[in-house]
Amino acid sequence: MRTKIIIFFIILNFNIVDAKTFLIDSNKVFKNLRCLICQGQSIADSNSEFAQTIKLIVRDQIKDGKSEKEIYDFLIEKYGEWIVYKPPLNKVNFLLWLLPYLAFVTGGGIIFLLLKKRYNH
Amino acid sequence: MLSNIGNTLLFLNILLGIFIIYFSFKNLQNKKISISKNIYHICLFQSTFIIICFLTLVAAFIISDFSIITVYQNSHSLKPFFYKISGTWGNHEGSLLLWVIILTIFSFLFLLYNKSHSRNYRIYSLIIQNTLILGFLFFLLFNSNPFSAISPTPKEGLGLNPILQDPALAIHPPLLYIGFVGSSIYFSAAIASLLTNYSGRLFAHSIKNWVLISWSFQTLGILAGSIWAYYELGWGGFWFWDPVENASLLPWFAMTALLHSLIVLEKRNFLYFWVIILCLLTFILSVTGTFLVRSGILNSVHTFANDPSRGLYILVFLSLMIFGSVLLFFNKFKNSNYNLNSNSKETFILINNWFMIFYLITVLLGTVYPIFTEVLTDHKVSVGPPFYNTVIIPIVILFLFFMSVGPQTQWIKNKFYNLNLLFKILIASIFINFSIIYLFKSYSLISNFIIISAVFLIIASLIDLYKLFKIQKMDSSRVISHLSFGFLILFIGLNYNFSLEKDFNLKLGERKKFDNYSLEFKDLRLEDFKNYKAVIGEFKINNSQRNLNQSLYPEIRIYENPSTITYEASIRSGLLKDYYITMSNIDRSDYYNIKFQKKPFMMWIWISVIFISLGGFLRLFQNAKKDY
Repeated sequence: MRTKIIIFFIILNFNIVDAKTFLIDSNKVFKNLRCLICQGQSIADSNSEFAQTIKLIVRDQIKDGKSEKEIYDFLIEKYGEWIVYKPPLNKVNFLLWLLPYLAFVTGGGIIFLLLKKRYNH
Repeated sequence: MLSNIGNTLLFLNILLGIFIIYFSFKNLQNKKISISKNIYHICLFQSTFIIICFLTLVAAFIISDFSIITVYQNSHSLKPFFYKISGTWGNHEGSLLLWVIILTIFSFLFLLYNKSHSRNYRIYSLIIQNTLILGFLFFLLFNSNPFSAISPTPKEGLGLNPILQDPALAIHPPLLYIGFVGSSIYFSAAIASLLTNYSGRLFAHSIKNWVLISWSFQTLGILAGSIWAYYELGWGGFWFWDPVENASLLPWFAMTALLHSLIVLEKRNFLYFWVIILCLLTFILSVTGTFLVRSGILNSVHTFANDPSRGLYILVFLSLMIFGSVLLFFNKFKNSNYNLNSNSKETFILINNWFMIFYLITVLLGTVYPIFTEVLTDHKVSVGPPFYNTVIIPIVILFLFFMSVGPQTQWIKNKFYNLNLLFKILIASIFINFSIIYLFKSYSLISNFIIISAVFLIIASLIDLYKLFKIQKMDSSRVISHLSFGFLILFIGLNYNFSLEKDFNLKLGERKKFDNYSLEFKDLRLEDFKNYKAVIGEFKINNSQRNLNQSLYPEIRIYENPSTITYEASIRSGLLKDYYITMSNIDRSDYYNIKFQKKPFMMWIWISVIFISLGGFLRLFQNAKKDY
């Protein structure tokens, strides 16, 4: 019974999430882009002219119905990977994405082994 | 004049450092149990001289003695008195002097407060600590001398970077440095402990308060930096995953792991070598952070003080430190016995360490990865918030559940915590999460889990608190920190999901409507201040539903010394939410770019962090009461 109640609530939670409309939030996109001429600022945070231009481009692309990924791809092609704050998974970046998880699994493995060794004694 | 005094004092301090090391070695050779009085006296002189040396620099800033390059480059006679003083450590040279002061004072205090410990262990700690002091003193004197003279004496200084003229940033470096540099003392103690084969339990006992001090201050230091970034940089967030912020967070992860595993070492006398690794790692990360920030190899907002030659010196110093400690560690390492049960407190503390190390590796990797790709493959990448959010947030959920269950477990025993109660707490958390959705609006899947797990931790900690009050056995410090951490994650989750951000261009007199709000650009005026001119806008926010009527006044400031333009956010802070507006001019146009943000629970994020560190201070206080 208890499990059923939990499942019920979880499903309820997710249904509400589904109701959310999937419009691209331009602010979110701005935050994921680096202002190339600034010192470590995102497009959303920068007051520079470059940032204004990129904002225009992004808004136009959203209006054209492009997906978030298409917008990033377009900008990467034009300005290089340097412009996106979330490096795409590729040959150069795979270590960046892999190592944290590898560390996580290894750490868990070590604790598991320590406990198992104890039981074998 | 002041330049000469300062230089003399620095030089004297180098001599004293050498004397301490010399007398310490001599002391090691005789058979007496106690440390010779001489060493105490020299240490006292050393601390006094370095403080006088620092006060000399403060004095130079106060009287605007521009014959000293540091003062000339970072001060101005018209600057407000308070910022003249804080300007002392608002630059590379001065902050490095602050660094040396903390090294020195901690060295002296550690010597004083560990009288019950073995003589050799204390003497070796002193030797190692003084080696560090000497290393930094040489760096200070020959590469980054805060007392270098300039001739002829300039009439006026260049002024302090205006974004650094701020109360939060005035206290940020001292707080952070007590954390950063404070970790040096357990680095030295760890090496001394390896050298003298000191008992793990006693070692843990001697350093635990120092870990608490550095951890609590580090937490506050990070907070001060975060608050500063919130209102000064005009971005409207509390954390940007900027490389320099990460540099302060890395040692914090290591300290937090250390803080927990130290309990195991003291109570159960195992994990000795792991604790040693964490001690070494914390200070190494602190120096690494300094290296990354000061060398300027990172692209960051905060790199206002960088120079490659500094980087090289710190890099050499850092490499020697790492090489030396790794060598010694493997020389002394031996496999030890342990006795670990799956549901014991020991295991859960190990789980804490497991997560901390995961966070540490992720953030370290994200911070240095762009350097490597650029050097090795000539490929520029940016690692920013979306990367950290994607990798870290899902793991935080799991972490919070472990954090709720962990403290309930017993030492050694293999008894599981009351599962029934856990189920009830889980249902309650899901229910609360579900009500939050109805109160506000919908949010993403992962946020559901974050909020559920944060509420789970909060309820579990509250039940804990209640139990503690009932049985009168107060472990209140731990509960306070854990509870506040739960609240921190909850408020971050709510803040992240229910922020409203709008970015648009407006002309004077125009009005913009969005959601239930309307924003009117009412007025624009130019005002003269003591050390800057400001273009001040007036904006009126109306909310048709909530009867809200507020005016905000964002500014564009034009500073002359040094000539800089800054954008000052106008913030209306409230208990439930902050309204936040920044304004910037658009070239060749009457329009202004306006960023409007509604940020719920900002104040509670800060308060949660204050309480997290308060838990540390409370524990320190309790320890002190127990010991004396």
